Amino acid sequence: MDWRLITDDDVAASFGLAADEALAQRVGMNLSQPTLRLYTYHSYCALVGRFQNVDNEIRVEYCRDNGITINRRPTGGGAIIMGADQLGVALTIPGRGDDTYSNARELMGNFSEGLVRGLNQLGVEARFRRKNDIEVNGKKLVGLGVYRAPSGGLLFHASMLVDLDIALMLRVLNTPFEKLSDKEIDTVAGRITTVRRETGSRIALDKVRCVIADGFVSAFEVNLVPSDFTSEEHAEIEKLEQEKYLSEDWVYQLTAVPDSNGSAKVKTDAGLIDVSVTMAGTIIKAAFIGGDFFASENAVADLEASLRWHTSQPDKVAATIEKIFQSRKGEFNGIQPEVMIEAVTKAVARARVADSQMRADPYGCYVNPGGAYA
Amino acid sequence: MTTADTYHIPSDRAYDREHHMWAQFDPASNDVFVGIDTLGLASLGDLAYVTLKHVGQSVKRGESLGTLEAAKMTGDLIAPISGTIVARNDATVSNPGLVNQSPYVDGWMVVIKPSDWENESAQLVSGDGLPVWVESEVKRYRSQGWID
Repeated sequence: MDWRLITDDDVAASFGLAADEALAQRVGMNLSQPTLRLYTYHSYCALVGRFQNVDNEIRVEYCRDNGITINRRPTGGGAIIMGADQLGVALTIPGRGDDTYSNARELMGNFSEGLVRGLNQLGVEARFRRKNDIEVNGKKLVGLGVYRAPSGGLLFHASMLVDLDIALMLRVLNTPFEKLSDKEIDTVAGRITTVRRETGSRIALDKVRCVIADGFVSAFEVNLVPSDFTSEEHAEIEKLEQEKYLSEDWVYQLTAVPDSNGSAKVKTDAGLIDVSVTMAGTIIKAAFIGGDFFASENAVADLEASLRWHTSQPDKVAATIEKIFQSRKGEFNGIQPEVMIEAVTKAVARARVADSQMRADPYGCYVNPGGAYA
Repeated sequence: MTTADTYHIPSDRAYDREHHMWAQFDPASNDVFVGIDTLGLASLGDLAYVTLKHVGQSVKRGESLGTLEAAKMTGDLIAPISGTIVARNDATVSNPGLVNQSPYVDGWMVVIKPSDWENESAQLVSGDGLPVWVESEVKRYRSQGWID
């Protein structure tokens, strides 16, 4: 089976995103061939997830002052920065009507496997974390997202950190940190990693692109045929870019589900646990676990990643925390899972209270969605 | 518990075979309530965000009436029938978890004044056709990996 391989670099955020969405729709309608895009954005752009509020996630003024474009992905998840050192991976395939492509979970597994096999070729021991991450020993290296187009076409999207300017990222994204110091940069560096860090080399992005392409050939047993967009595709992408991805209504749309934050501190004999969570309604969007207890950095990163985009139902939160403690026995150095469950549960409860107060306050930040993209 | 119980599909309404949206005709108003069924929700996971088109906007069967982000993916909510939106449930927009908790009662999404209910409802599955359809859909979803 043949797939198209399209490689493009230095693309504008509006074009890159429009191309991914247009191809997903067209592939679902059998108007375009299944396509793997391996591309980079013009340095830099800040991309929020499908339903995030830009003002919550991005330091807009800093971006404007520094020529960093802001846009909104069709896929979900958190805000990211993209540029010449981050590889965008977009696979568009039909989602139904052809048994070859019918198994969604298998497809997500294969998509991740393509990336993992490519990384393995470089000696990077990456693994897929269900839903949205590929990680190396608990540290995030690749963010994943899935979008299902109205035609049924599926877009599997990944952003791979070949390298990352963490200080820049912290200036662009709103973070829980009150100030930006070496300590905060070190904290973030402990949660994420890059291909260059893992390989200990200045490997070129093109080399990474080649091994990732090989990974997909191996995982999906396909041939990749170097190609380009057709003129018909170009016209559709340009139309979508103009009507949607260059529109402020799309980029700056507001969601009706306000973010709410909660934190909790629990003292233990092994040290203080300080947990902060950000919630979207009943979903935990992000968790940050700090304090002065001693634990493996990877174990803490693993726990935070497990709680990202997690239901806040207490029994499920407890089950997830217990599972991580089970799999990382000894790495939390005397902190008991029950205490961590207590801290996270308290932080979630406080976020829920804050959420209720915002909803009850007519002058709070509850905003109905508007614009053309309901 | 049978699979039909696990993925409860009430027999008092009709269903879009492909997108798992339900449509319930209200004879008092001649309007149609629309929501998503439990199989559709099982394939998506917990909903984090929902947007819905506004009252007064027209929708076409097979096209988007809103969007969602769930635990497993983002995507569009596909209209099971054509018409004009006459009401929308803002409670599901501000609290998408309501759809997971109560997909057939409190978690309805929009009310549509149908433009061609007679013909389009015939393309939906309902009544005696439901048990066979539910069983086959559960099998299909399971084999395709959307549900466990």
